[in-house]
Amino acid sequence: MTDTQTTASMRPATTQDVADILMDAASRGEPLVVRGNGTRAGLGNPVAATRVLELGGLDQIDFYDPDDLVIRAGVGATLDEVEQVLAQKGQYLPFEPPRYAGLYGTNGARSTLGGAVSTALSGPRRILTGAARDFVLGVEGVNGQGDVFKAGGRTMKNVTGYDISKLVTGANGTLAALTTVTLKVLPAPRAEVTLVLPAATLEEDVALFARMRALPLGLGGLARRVNASGLCELLVRVEGTVPGVAGNQQVLNGMLATRGGMVVLEQEQSRALWAGVRELDCLNAKPDELVWRVNLPATTMPAFVEQARSAGCINRFFVDWAGGVVFSTMRGVQPEVDTLRYRKMAEKAGARATLLRAPDAVRAQFGAFPPVSAGVAALAARTRTAFDPAGILNPGRMTVQA
Amino acid sequence: MQMPEPNQTIISQRDALAQGLRQIVGKDWVISDDAQRRPYQCDGITAYMAMPLLVVLPGSAQEVQAVLRFCNEKGVKIVPRGSGTSLSGGALPLEDGVLLVTSRLCNVLAVDEHNRVARVQPGVPNIKITEAVSHLGLCYMPDPSSQLISTIGGNVAENAGGVHCLKYGVTANHILGIQAVLMTGEMVELGGAYLGAAEGELDLMGVLTGSEGLLAVVTEIAVRLEPVPEVARVISMSFASVEEACECVGAIIGVGIIPAGLEFMDRKVLDAVSVLIKEKFDDRTAALLLCELDGTAVEVDALVGVVSDVARGQGAIELKVSTTEEERQRIWSSRKLAFSAIGKLCPDYYCTDGTIPRNKLPEVLNKMADMSKKYGLDYANCFHAGDGNLHPIIMYDAAKPGDLEKAEEFGADVLIACVDAGGVLSGEHGIGVEKRDLMTHQFTEVDLQQQQMVKCAFDPKDLLNPGKMFPTLCRCAEFGRMHVHNGNLRFADIPRF
Ligand SMILES: Cc1cc2nc3c(=O)[nH]c(=O)nc-3n(C[C@H](O)[C@H](O)[C@H](O)COP(=O)(O)OP(=O)(O)OC[C@H]3O[C@@H](n4cnc5c(N)ncnc54)[C@H](O)[C@@H]3O)c2cc1C
Ligand SMILES: Cc1cc2nc3c(=O)[nH]c(=O)nc-3n(C[C@H](O)[C@H](O)[C@H](O)COP(=O)(O)OP(=O)(O)OC[C@H]3O[C@@H](n4cnc5c(N)ncnc54)[C@H](O)[C@@H]3O)c2cc1C
Repeated sequence: MTDTQTTASMRPATTQDVADILMDAASRGEPLVVRGNGTRAGLGNPVAATRVLELGGLDQIDFYDPDDLVIRAGVGATLDEVEQVLAQKGQYLPFEPPRYAGLYGTNGARSTLGGAVSTALSGPRRILTGAARDFVLGVEGVNGQGDVFKAGGRTMKNVTGYDISKLVTGANGTLAALTTVTLKVLPAPRAEVTLVLPAATLEEDVALFARMRALPLGLGGLARRVNASGLCELLVRVEGTVPGVAGNQQVLNGMLATRGGMVVLEQEQSRALWAGVRELDCLNAKPDELVWRVNLPATTMPAFVEQARSAGCINRFFVDWAGGVVFSTMRGVQPEVDTLRYRKMAEKAGARATLLRAPDAVRAQFGAFPPVSAGVAALAARTRTAFDPAGILNPGRMTVQA
Repeated sequence: MQMPEPNQTIISQRDALAQGLRQIVGKDWVISDDAQRRPYQCDGITAYMAMPLLVVLPGSAQEVQAVLRFCNEKGVKIVPRGSGTSLSGGALPLEDGVLLVTSRLCNVLAVDEHNRVARVQPGVPNIKITEAVSHLGLCYMPDPSSQLISTIGGNVAENAGGVHCLKYGVTANHILGIQAVLMTGEMVELGGAYLGAAEGELDLMGVLTGSEGLLAVVTEIAVRLEPVPEVARVISMSFASVEEACECVGAIIGVGIIPAGLEFMDRKVLDAVSVLIKEKFDDRTAALLLCELDGTAVEVDALVGVVSDVARGQGAIELKVSTTEEERQRIWSSRKLAFSAIGKLCPDYYCTDGTIPRNKLPEVLNKMADMSKKYGLDYANCFHAGDGNLHPIIMYDAAKPGDLEKAEEFGADVLIACVDAGGVLSGEHGIGVEKRDLMTHQFTEVDLQQQQMVKCAFDPKDLLNPGKMFPTLCRCAEFGRMHVHNGNLRFADIPRF
């Protein structure tokens, strides 16, 4: 998918090995592709480097302390394994990290914890429980000079020094090669159901989402999609204790009665449904299509979508986070032209448009991530230099050289 | 505690600097006379005092920019200050520095009900945000006990927590966007007024949060609003031993319940409080836990049942559950009055906030008892048990020579014990000057250098709040040179890949 010029990969098994590799590379100013197992290598801009530093070998679980809601593991531990270990104690990763393996044509079972932290992707539950950044308590990593450092800790609260853990979360491997991460986990809700009901117009649906969210109903998912039969529907996930969910479901029944046609999916069905939402399955992205994520205020979403659809920038789409994010496909006929138009449209709407999937050349030219102001870009560049003065860690992954 | 030597040249330019600053903010908003500067000499830690060179109160973000630009050019240091309730000396003035106070930047700028965001200026007291949105059934969740006074800007700078952050998270989890001014006067906008507005660039907002005024001056904040929970009920649980109370904390979380708040008070605190609230606690009680549960009515009723069972199983000798809002308030009043009640028992007290893994609570509390004997100082415990955030209250008498030093050493020993138990120096009050010299106990030299390199990216001249957080000043130029030396390979003889 990307970084195709790479010829050799190094797969160290210890933090010290990572440090040695980076010190060596730094001494020669040799850029490296940094990745976990490469299942999401298609996210971000292609990196011009010949060698890959693959961290998937650092896959130990250091400790898991369920009573203290904390787990520390090597960055190479797979999300599947971590989630299984947590599930045995009835706990979970609340930010619901997506794998996007379907999107990138990779094996999601190999998706790593380090990749989840570095890409900071968060699933549908973000509107209720928070994002990846909210659950990273501490990290150990190696900076671009081969220095091993740690930041944060393992306690729930911590204001001891700068929050470097947040800074490296979502840095897509540009500040440091992370070696271990410490995450806050939570008890998984005991009960969940999903109410499925027919969609109306985007405006009406977004207003309905807002009315539901105005009450503390524990809504861990509010999405709108086209289902397998081509019908537009709303998905409302209710989570919590058994009596809590039952009670909240009753309140919702009252609110949604006028819509009619409601179907209720219980526990297992609901889980399977949202795993698909998390992975953007309902987008049905064809191999030659580009895939976009646009973050924006829910209230501006309907107008934005209408405009983008009529301009041909959106082919298929679905809406998550109660209207605050639009995932869409774009026909791959004239990707350069459409990418530029769509980005401009998003910018005008005060939205952030991320190119989740596109040919290397398109991402290299326009950047996978939305542009930021010159001041923020300069500050980010200085911050990168503070970690990686020689610019050898995934150079250009997040930024396009002007 | 030592601060960097004040720069006498700067001090000698005081009048000219005051004049320059008056041109920016207007003549009334630069304070230079002694009497009016005096209230700004310290923050919440009164043991540390310094007279600020000048106090400046800008009236807009543009004025903040101009003040910083002016001071940057003249090489004058800046200490940002909100309401001065910091308990770590973060807002301690510098004799050769300008104290920039945000109290005039006190407006809630916009409330977006539908997208559930409020845009506020940094000098807005925390409680004012909730007051501005409560008619919509919404609130701003983080609730430091100082919320009536402490500003949202100060909360962001200290990543403040509160009783309810066990369930709802700390300040950092509720911030969507920040507008900030760098020491050069340059303004940056990070994130924005919606969820996900910060996607796709380094989380600079994340590192600014909790940076104790060392990286930039925050001039506007977009915060998340949440619906007010339908009901909240509190259970007061007494235990015959501190250990049992501590174990009950882990047991509640172990059954999969995250209470809205879970607070601990020891016998000394209860005795102090009972004088004020004129209520007696059972003689057998050695420690009390307050556990708040919130949500919908049915849900809370169910949770109250489960938690009560757990508490009984852990040996609780008495349980009281609030059934009305007045009862809830009354039960909480003991916790809210705790610090002032202790204040009546002793001339002075000193409170730190080391944080530990929850299962280390008994171990560290026992160590504290030993330390108290060693230093001959009394202490009491009242803290956020649910997230392992200790607040030992060390009692001393500043009038007695050597007492303050003993209290500081006692506090330092507690913090060291916290770090040794796998915890951290500060859960919510920050490092400031108070815990600065202990940073080397938690972090290696490389860890600290990496943090200070971040400071160089924001403030290469080290003019913003210097002397705080780090035991040594930032030497950005030197760090740059060190990179070159690091070219030679460590462990040159081990096999390469
Ligand atoms: C298998 C299948 C897949 C389909 N996939 C798509 C698709 O990916 N994108 C698409 O636009 N149409 C798709 N359609 C068509 C779609 O389901 C409706 O038939 C069409 O949107 C109705 O158009 P309209 O002109 O009646 O309503 P419109 O006025 O176009 O739409 C009514 C409202 O629904 C919204 N809306 C329409 N389609 C979608 C959608 N797919 N997702 C979210 N909101 C929507 C509009 O924005 C508008 O607010 C699909 C149909 C089938 C059978
Ligand atoms: C009685 C009492 C109870 C408390 N309870 C709690 C509690 O429950 N939880 C908790 O977390 N804390 C608590 N605190 C500590 C304190 O209230 C918090 O740290 C609070 O966030 C400080 O806010 P402030 O406006 O008073 O800031 P100040 O004390 O004025 O400043 C604190 C720090 O923030 C910096 N700063 C202030 N404004 C800005 C700005 N706009 N831009 C950049 N930097 C800035 C200052 O330089 C300083 O380093 C308590 C304090 C007291 C006195």
